[in-house]
Amino acid sequence: MSFQFETKVMGETLPLLMSGVKLTVIITLSGLLIGFVLGAGFGLLKLSPRLWLKRLAGIYVETVRGTPLIVQVMFLYFGLPMATGLRIPPLAAGIIAIAINSGAYIAEIVRGAVQSIDRGQMEAGRSIGLTKGQTMLYVIWPQAFKRMIPPLGNQFIISLKDTSLLTVIGVAELTRGGQEIIAVNFRAFEVWLTVGLTYLVMTMSIAWALKHVEERLSGAAGR
Amino acid sequence: MIHIKNLHKSFGDLEVVKGVDLHVREREVVCIIGPSGSGKSTVLRCINRLEEITSGSIVVDNHDLYDPTTDINDIRTEAGMVFQQFNLFPHLSVLDNICLGPLKVRKLTRKEAELLGRQLLAKVGLAEKADVYPDQLSGGQKQRVAIARALALQPKVILFDEPTSALDPELVGEVLEVMKKLAQEGMTMVVVTHEMGFAQEVADRVIFFDQGVIKEEGVPRELFANPKEPRLRDFLGKVIAHG
Ligand SMILES: Nc1ncnc2c1ncn2[C@@H]1O[C@H](COP(=O)(O)OP(=O)(O)OP(=O)(O)O)[C@@H](O)[C@H]1O
Ligand SMILES: [Mg+2]
Repeated sequence: MSFQFETKVMGETLPLLMSGVKLTVIITLSGLLIGFVLGAGFGLLKLSPRLWLKRLAGIYVETVRGTPLIVQVMFLYFGLPMATGLRIPPLAAGIIAIAINSGAYIAEIVRGAVQSIDRGQMEAGRSIGLTKGQTMLYVIWPQAFKRMIPPLGNQFIISLKDTSLLTVIGVAELTRGGQEIIAVNFRAFEVWLTVGLTYLVMTMSIAWALKHVEERLSGAAGR
Repeated sequence: MIHIKNLHKSFGDLEVVKGVDLHVREREVVCIIGPSGSGKSTVLRCINRLEEITSGSIVVDNHDLYDPTTDINDIRTEAGMVFQQFNLFPHLSVLDNICLGPLKVRKLTRKEAELLGRQLLAKVGLAEKADVYPDQLSGGQKQRVAIARALALQPKVILFDEPTSALDPELVGEVLEVMKKLAQEGMTMVVVTHEMGFAQEVADRVIFFDQGVIKEEGVPRELFANPKEPRLRDFLGKVIAHG
């Protein structure tokens, strides 16, 4: 056995991965966008004084957090169509899976951030005649949102990496792209190395951007 | 202005307010004093409906708070509240803190609201602080902004819950000055306070709270000079010893 590391292969692989990168980014961004809407909704439901709403949100969060993402993906793509007769295309299924999955974690982020805002803020809002909803919108949410940014950035990185699991339902994202190249050139070492470094560049860019946002926010202390 | 009849309030099994009758006339300044845990804050918070009452009735400016046809958000704008911990909105500038209520509740235009906000800031002596954020203010300045914020809704009465208790001693005076000015202008005020000097000077009536009931009340001069209740004598002794 004579293994010869060839940087040339890495150079050839990279351009072939670009369509996968594009899909990974699209799935991550659209999944997280929907996930944020779900998370904000269910996170606020968790704070509802109505017990049944709180329970409903609790069931969603616990179910998602308590099962592996790959099982969720398989269930959505292979399981549901059997029961409903409704086939979802792989890309849509992937986005929905990332949305539902990240939504549960974001719900906890939202709940925690809103809860961390001093009770006096709600009382002050109410005391100047704002309704509960208005106080949430103009007083609590803007303050809570700032506290959500670091954990949301973290979730961004997690979800981006999670998209690699979608390879099991045939979504042509980055990991899948790597597999397809290896099927042709058999250069597993160079290709997986390239794929890994590509993920790393993406996640580190997010981390870097996040650090800058946080620095700007802490410069405007307390706001 | 405020008519409280036989007010009871419990938290679970703990009865905190045990039958309070309190009537505040228009333009009257009432100071509430009493030991910690006696239910002073709870009564104020019931007037503003930040707490639900257990039984009794509260009528503010002819609106029965517990009549289902009463719009509670109206009541809240008739009774402003100033908190011990200021509770300014840290993400909004001083001017925006004051304008939020007028904009969203009174539906003023931005221009009208800012004009009103600047007038009120001038009134509490902070005209030059309109554009700074609360974390750049001293405690006394924060509380003056909080008073301006409460005034912005043009309330009929302002409820103060220990407005100077969180302040460094040298900052207490500036807040009391603003409150004194309001009192002179005829604002109806209910003030929970440990500032006996302020009560003596400004209050029309002082009410001594103890263990959830009004133990004694009267005009400040008499109440401070000849307290009848032993508990009040005790309390005044302690406050003066510490003050
Ligand atoms: N939300 C609540 N839940 C349970 N108990 C409460 C609550 N709010 C107040 N209490 C209790 O009610 C009692 C009266 O409280 P309150 O705040 O009205 O007293 P206070 O006279 O304002 O005292 P202080 O001078 O310390 O502010 C206290 O024993 C307090 O622990
Ligand atoms: Mg109190």
